[in-house]
Amino acid sequence: MSIPTQPAEDESHPARPPSAGTAFNTTLRGLNVLQGLAKRALWFAGSLLAASGVIFLIVQTLPGDIAQATLGLNASPEALEAIRQRWGLDRPAIVRYLDWLAGLARGDLGSSYRSGQPVAQQILPGLAVTGWLVGLALPLAALAAVPLGAVAALWRRRFPGAVASGLSQVGMAVPVFFTGVLLVVVFAVELGWLPANGYTPLTGPDGDPAQWWRHLVLPVAVLVIAQASLLSRYVRSGLVEVMTEDYLRTARAVGWTRWGALRRHGTRNVALSVVTVLGLQAAALLVGAIIVEQVFQLPGLGSALLRAVAQRDLPVVQGIACLLVVAVLTISFLVDALYLVIDPRLRSKARR
Amino acid sequence: MRRLTLVTGLALVALLVVAAVLSLGWTPHDPTLVQAGQRLQPPSWSHWLGTDRMGIDLVSRLMTGARSTLLVGVAAVLLAAAVGVPLGIWAGMSRGLAADLVLRAGDVLLALPALLLAILLVAARGGSAATVTIAIGVAAIPVFLRLANAATRGVMALDYIDAARMAGISRAAIARRHVLPNIAPLLGVQASASFSVAILAEAGLSYLGLGAPAGSPTWGRMMRDGQADLFLTPWPALIPGLAVALAVLGFNLLGDGLRDQLDPRLREWR
Amino acid sequence: MPAGHTPAGHTPARVLAALLAAVATAWLAACADPSPSPGGDSGAPTASLVVGATVEPPTFDLTQSSAAAIPQLLLYNVYQTLLKVDDAGQLQPLLATGHELSADRLTYTFQLDPAARFASGAPVDAAAVKASWERLCAPVEEAAKRRCSSPNSVVATPLSLVDEVTAVDATTLAVTLVRPSNSWLYDMTSSAGVVIDPAADNLPVHPMGSGPYQVDSWTVGDRIVLARNPNYWGAAPGFEQVTFRYFADPSAMTFALQTGDIDIISNLTTPSSLAELEADPGFNATSGTSTGEVVLGFNQARPVLQSLAVRQAINHAIDSQGLMDTVWAGQGRLIGTMVAPSDPYYEDLSQTYPYDPDRARELLATAGATDLELSLRVASDLPYAPPAAQYIASQLAAVGITVTVEEIDWNRWLSEVFQDGDYDLTIVAHLEPRDIERFADPDYYWHYDSAQFRQLLTAADQGDPADYVAGMRQAARLLAQDAAADWLFLLPNLVVSRAGLVGVPVNASSLSFDVTAIRP
Repeated sequence: MSIPTQPAEDESHPARPPSAGTAFNTTLRGLNVLQGLAKRALWFAGSLLAASGVIFLIVQTLPGDIAQATLGLNASPEALEAIRQRWGLDRPAIVRYLDWLAGLARGDLGSSYRSGQPVAQQILPGLAVTGWLVGLALPLAALAAVPLGAVAALWRRRFPGAVASGLSQVGMAVPVFFTGVLLVVVFAVELGWLPANGYTPLTGPDGDPAQWWRHLVLPVAVLVIAQASLLSRYVRSGLVEVMTEDYLRTARAVGWTRWGALRRHGTRNVALSVVTVLGLQAAALLVGAIIVEQVFQLPGLGSALLRAVAQRDLPVVQGIACLLVVAVLTISFLVDALYLVIDPRLRSKARR
Repeated sequence: MRRLTLVTGLALVALLVVAAVLSLGWTPHDPTLVQAGQRLQPPSWSHWLGTDRMGIDLVSRLMTGARSTLLVGVAAVLLAAAVGVPLGIWAGMSRGLAADLVLRAGDVLLALPALLLAILLVAARGGSAATVTIAIGVAAIPVFLRLANAATRGVMALDYIDAARMAGISRAAIARRHVLPNIAPLLGVQASASFSVAILAEAGLSYLGLGAPAGSPTWGRMMRDGQADLFLTPWPALIPGLAVALAVLGFNLLGDGLRDQLDPRLREWR
Repeated sequence: MPAGHTPAGHTPARVLAALLAAVATAWLAACADPSPSPGGDSGAPTASLVVGATVEPPTFDLTQSSAAAIPQLLLYNVYQTLLKVDDAGQLQPLLATGHELSADRLTYTFQLDPAARFASGAPVDAAAVKASWERLCAPVEEAAKRRCSSPNSVVATPLSLVDEVTAVDATTLAVTLVRPSNSWLYDMTSSAGVVIDPAADNLPVHPMGSGPYQVDSWTVGDRIVLARNPNYWGAAPGFEQVTFRYFADPSAMTFALQTGDIDIISNLTTPSSLAELEADPGFNATSGTSTGEVVLGFNQARPVLQSLAVRQAINHAIDSQGLMDTVWAGQGRLIGTMVAPSDPYYEDLSQTYPYDPDRARELLATAGATDLELSLRVASDLPYAPPAAQYIASQLAAVGITVTVEEIDWNRWLSEVFQDGDYDLTIVAHLEPRDIERFADPDYYWHYDSAQFRQLLTAADQGDPADYVAGMRQAARLLAQDAAADWLFLLPNLVVSRAGLVGVPVNASSLSFDVTAIRP
């Protein structure tokens, strides 16, 4: 769902400012980072294996099958059986799982039941659409969230802060479907500035950069509204936290201006939490943008997943699910790695 | 400011609870009775917010909807907390491979997007309030697991836990007497946030056609049912949407207000 | 603003929209493309036509799949038949210029149009037609019947009546039937009769026919583009390109029409928006007839539903007019049996069991079926089924029948309800023309088993053509009296097109959305 999952702010990656005055032996530091990274890489592989098992298990329990989906209302039982045999659906599940796993190891996701095309080829166009959508929306959301969150934090007991907080609360509360339809009615139907829905690729035989951009404006705007509202909360609490730390008071006492102190200590603190949330959201939105995709009829990854499930095109379902898991794990791996490099305190934790 | 947040949140949530409780005994009209002759009525004295495409009074459906919304939210959060919290506390108290594995399993679950789970579950079991609850609840397990784990580690570092341990108090007793009370407020804040996620998720799943069947008294389904008549009259879709927004706002504000109350640092600043 | 909008009323969405429009920022105005989007009100004839549709085909192979979305796209546009059904439901020559029936009514002789060519350039001659049909149903030496490899019964049923196909000469084709049939010629205007290029070797992906358009590209989940067939043997079609766009969200399709992103809504599934679109001079909205009967099916393998009184009671308990008003905004027609008004043997049987809840309760009491509990399983993807289920559950509750509604996805519906018969009641529209013969198959998912009905149907089909209509009416009436199902209503064919387009089909007299006659 395009609903942002709200990780609790007091989570296992607390965005705390680095404690002052730490000096590290550079050799030890490099070693620790390497060790930490190696451990995380191992977990990565293990998680992937576990997730592949879970995915396969769930997908196999789906009632109905591809034969029925393709042949439709008047299909004969013999024809259904023939299709099932063609796709090897009569083999035991464990054989099919190992077969699929062996393919995965070779980087082969199998072939779509519906079209016979390789799954990767089937997924790529949708990934490109969603990639553009999320790739454009998240940086814009971050750009909008920083000033919004800063206003909310710095004037948090005065009117501007209340307005900023209120805006972000409203942005999070309104269902995405509503924002979408409202923007369509205003900017497409009433004003006629932009197309109501649909997608034109940027490149390729049907590519048209002007149309591509016009088709993306509204869906990106909807995502930006929702994501910026969520992000601004983290910016706000990150800043508020810094402002309440003792050392900041000390810094002010020894002559730093409030702005100077905030710039120096607040930036890193806020950057850390924003990077974490952006990472989580980027992964979640690969399929979570599905409501936006439906409202604007974008042939993205989420819609492809919905369609593949409806048709019981199991290799495609498994392929998309795996892609999502890899994306989530890769992003959290990168975020972890980034933490190790940036935050000395967590570095010492990784040693344990 | 802080008070205002908490009070507004409380008021909105209280409104939701009152509507839900009231609907157990009384609604202005029957919330399931289809009346072809009453379809798509504008707001009037007898139907304060008008009627939907089936001629059902929107106020009545909204009230019963508050009940299922609360039920879905409570059940999903309970499910997530019942699995996630004990595991999280246990993993936080006992370090070692087993605890690491549990945490990593939570991360794997977190890596499976909630929507993926929901789509597969609904395809397998059909759309219903129960399916939606399970999907939302399972997806929220790792959130509670990680939170309970992190908070427990914090508590375990305190000196008096060491004292209790040395006094020979069992681990289960420590967990019950010292850890749980300490982390309960944090869990409460998270539960409030999870509520709003659950409400939005139900609306989103219904929009995708993965929710409860037509005519079900959930707000998400009301929005979907109303969508068919969007061009004739937007009210039947707009009103439940507004209810969703207000409820989400309420739980978010409540959560924020609670957290501010809990965090002494935030109180004494300035 | 493209495709002029008339303020049909100050709906709240409008007021809100106007407010928001007022505060719309300048940068958006600056970046907006001033030229209208394709198909907008530019007035100039455009080389491309965009058609909005709802269900995307699962494959292009109509010989293997019975999905109605395939003939909607391909029939007449890409694949042609010897004769076609026109918008008024009449047979018209297409690949054949004429035909004769022998005195014993067993042999049809078709004269093929000597000009007819496949898109590949190969001639559509008698040998090609014979090869195409035999590809689906091969003659079997020992048996009189042919064996049809096609799992699509729309294809298999008429073709299995064929005894022999003979290419007399290049343009003369003789078809001998195993028995006389009054419906065969008509049935061959649908998917069964398509003539496929003998060179076609990958039907699921690459359909090869003789129609004015050919499949150009398919973006799965989004659109299928048809391009003009440069080798077309007949008069050139109106467009270089016809794009079918598939919309998962019906209101998105209406928005796309309003902004000029599409030119035609092939079938509006939000009938309540018809009034607004009709009032707009920028659009032509028509409400034609279709052959889609929305059927409340009774699983007559269940003992309780084998009782005629129970089936009659359910028919009496449901107010079909009210249902059509609530579910489909009053658009459509009441029928009382599996016959559409466009069929020659249509008569209004909608009052066979009028709405009468008291009578329903009486019937239930006489059948001893009080406290009845039934499951109503419907596919959530069908726009009419979930609201109809809600309506029916409420009305049956009023006569003391407890109905549990379950929404499942289309795939589960196909395998559990349709294939395995695990249901009591279900709702689905049967779109095929002249599909009353479905009730003759006791293994079909309704399990309606009436020797008398089968005998009436066969007699009408084999008998003197002069008695055909009367015979079919008798069969249809028996079906209605037997309450073999509750025919809720007939779907309307709601087509909305940009003003200025001519030749847009009004009725859904066949499964095709025939774009061949549309001109800018």
